[in-house]
Amino acid sequence: MADRDYARRHLRFGWWSLLFFTMLGLVLESLHGFKVPAYLDASNETRRLMWTLAHAHGTLLSLVHVIFGLCVRVAPEMNARNRPLISWSLIGASLLLPGGFFLGGVVFYGGDPGVAVLLVPVGAVSMMIAVFLLARMAASAGQERASPSEGTRPRQDRSRGTSRR
Amino acid sequence: MIRVVTCASLLLFSTALGWSIISAREPRIPEARITYRPIQIQEGGYVSSDTCKACHPAQYEAWHDSFHRTMTQLPTTDTVRADFDGVRVTDVPGNPIDLELRQNEFWAEFGDPDWKSSEAGERPRIRRQIVMVTGSHYQQVYWYRTDRTRVVGQLPATYLITERRWIPRDSALLHPPVEKPGSETGRWNAICVNCHATDGKRRFDAPADVETAGASSMTADTQVGEFGIACEACHGPGAEHARQNRNPMRRYWQYLTGKADRSAIVQPAQLNPVLSSQVCGQCHGVWEFFDQEAERRANSIGLAYRPGDELRQTRVVVQPTKNQDSPTVRAILDAYPGYLNDSFWSDGMIRVSGREYNGLIDSPCFRNATDEKHTLTCFSCHTMHKTPDDPRPIAEWADTHQVAAGMAGNGACLQCHAAIGTNVPAHTKHQPASTGSSCYNCHMPYTTYGLLRALRSHQISSPTVAASIETGRPNACNSCHLDKTLAWTSDYLERWYATPKVRLSADEQTVAASLLWLLKGDAGQRAVAAWSMGWAPAQRVSGTGWMGVPLAMLLNDPYDAVRLIAHRSLRSLPGFDGFQSDFLAPSSERIGDTVRALDYWRRTLRPGDRRTDPALLLDAAGSPRMDAIIRLGLQRNDRPVVLRE
Repeated sequence: MADRDYARRHLRFGWWSLLFFTMLGLVLESLHGFKVPAYLDASNETRRLMWTLAHAHGTLLSLVHVIFGLCVRVAPEMNARNRPLISWSLIGASLLLPGGFFLGGVVFYGGDPGVAVLLVPVGAVSMMIAVFLLARMAASAGQERASPSEGTRPRQDRSRGTSRR
Repeated sequence: MIRVVTCASLLLFSTALGWSIISAREPRIPEARITYRPIQIQEGGYVSSDTCKACHPAQYEAWHDSFHRTMTQLPTTDTVRADFDGVRVTDVPGNPIDLELRQNEFWAEFGDPDWKSSEAGERPRIRRQIVMVTGSHYQQVYWYRTDRTRVVGQLPATYLITERRWIPRDSALLHPPVEKPGSETGRWNAICVNCHATDGKRRFDAPADVETAGASSMTADTQVGEFGIACEACHGPGAEHARQNRNPMRRYWQYLTGKADRSAIVQPAQLNPVLSSQVCGQCHGVWEFFDQEAERRANSIGLAYRPGDELRQTRVVVQPTKNQDSPTVRAILDAYPGYLNDSFWSDGMIRVSGREYNGLIDSPCFRNATDEKHTLTCFSCHTMHKTPDDPRPIAEWADTHQVAAGMAGNGACLQCHAAIGTNVPAHTKHQPASTGSSCYNCHMPYTTYGLLRALRSHQISSPTVAASIETGRPNACNSCHLDKTLAWTSDYLERWYATPKVRLSADEQTVAASLLWLLKGDAGQRAVAAWSMGWAPAQRVSGTGWMGVPLAMLLNDPYDAVRLIAHRSLRSLPGFDGFQSDFLAPSSERIGDTVRALDYWRRTLRPGDRRTDPALLLDAAGSPRMDAIIRLGLQRNDRPVVLRE
């Protein structure tokens, strides 16, 4: 998949996801506004917490997708080597983290969320893999740029070469 | 360079903002460092409701909104129901009491209740900070710091929440009029701590000659697990349960298999009927320590009883029909002969509120039950945690004594007495939807007293005239049919239920039973009868046009509590909502209130409501027969009555 495709994928995913999760935020605000007991009663505190976490994580992850998409476009050399893994990890995190929180709040056991919350740690690991790879690549990209020999290499060639790999 | 300056500025700004937010919050002093009031320290396996909340939010919510939680609270603008903001209370002892709200602290200035008239000079005025609050439903009592260890004193006034009015503390209880109100310093530490807190340890010491030595001789290091009746008061200490269930794998295993592990916590509703009722009975019962040694031990380490234990192994549950001659009760009676009369009718039925356990264990539905499933327990009708199928708001559930969904009506009794449910009128002889067909009204009438009102007896019984004659306790029939005589009731009970008739005096045959209790009865009977006249079902059944007269008479009763109840009932009569009288007025002025009330009654009585029944002590023209009223009034039972609610 070309750089352009990755950028497009994550920008598209990010913005649609942001739309979805801001709409979820609107729904949650409406539940507050109409004082819906199933969301606001103290006995439903676990649901409120889970759905709030789903909204927050989903929204922030949407922004991460947008930033990642922009990074691919602006600095394609930064994450070229592991881009497929990073891409799928980010998408996985975006589905599992907020999804786990949300489903964990649908059915819950007193102060404990439902078993669907087990998706959350899987999503968190997925997220950490992506972030770790990005961080490592960012650091190495910085070193590469600082190196005089690398610094003279045309930027376009390097990115093209990386994308072929 | 610019980047560095920007970053430094941002860092500095964030630090300043954080610091200002933290410093704006009130500093919270650790409980252990508070020296001037009882403190909340969790020990002995107690962890407090905060820990329970993490896993049981629904149960926590129901408890949090119940009046159990608020039995004792720390004073805050949310918990204090009275207005303290620059208010002066003038008609109570210690007057005037100047109340002040100062930066979320509640202060009161008043005459020192601990001052003795034998001391030189006038009663000094003291200014004290309110540090604890008791009650939140009908009344609220305030406790102030004495600055003598953790001993707290009681403000000499009680706040009536519904009326939004301060009354003298002594007027809130039913006891003979007192000229000089006594001190209540140390009462919370020594008495209230047992049931107005969880895991209370008095650690209270007062010399034997405290009356002469004065309140300054008291010391206390009172500690509780938690103020109010919290989770662990009924479920027992929760530390081990919390520890075992800290592992999420264990919890989810229980959720998914449905095998809840309750080994380390007590579920009162799942205990056998005897033990489950005792969980409530630890507070809702009349009990005493076995002996002074047991009391000393409890004083030091707290009460021995834990939920699930056999209550009777830790204390004496006082039952006049069973253990009146036990060494413990004998010793108390020797020192205080009126002890049983203050809590029980003469046949041993409990007559004060808050002691429902005594009623339960003497009820045939408990005493004669042959299997656990059909044994009456507290949980047969009440629930401590509102259930999901209960459509009522939590506040309504709490306000109606935490009666479970579907148990407010006949459903409670029909759980066992299902056969009656197939044809209720055949049993009740009343219209199916009428209040006369309510199991509660006939078998749990309002014959116990507390908190300036009558409350339902929790000893299941059937109405008899004989019991009324023998004990003076109002029977269920005449508590509703207030305008009928005992003879009328006796006739119907014989006709309907073959209840044997008893010999009745001339007055009992010809004068409405409620008037006999109200005019001739002791203060407890008068209070209950006066309350019944304000009870809507009784007003509907008996008519209200005649009630103004007897209630007007009670406006001059010697007991403050009786006058207050009569005033409330009077105000509930049609046309009387504008009537004003002051039950705290001096006795010389109270007769004026009676005269005004009678005049008010004459002027506001609607022609259709006019009664001429001789049984109501009214003549053919509908005027009160004052000769008969005075004659009965002169026979009033003036036995000093102290009801230990």
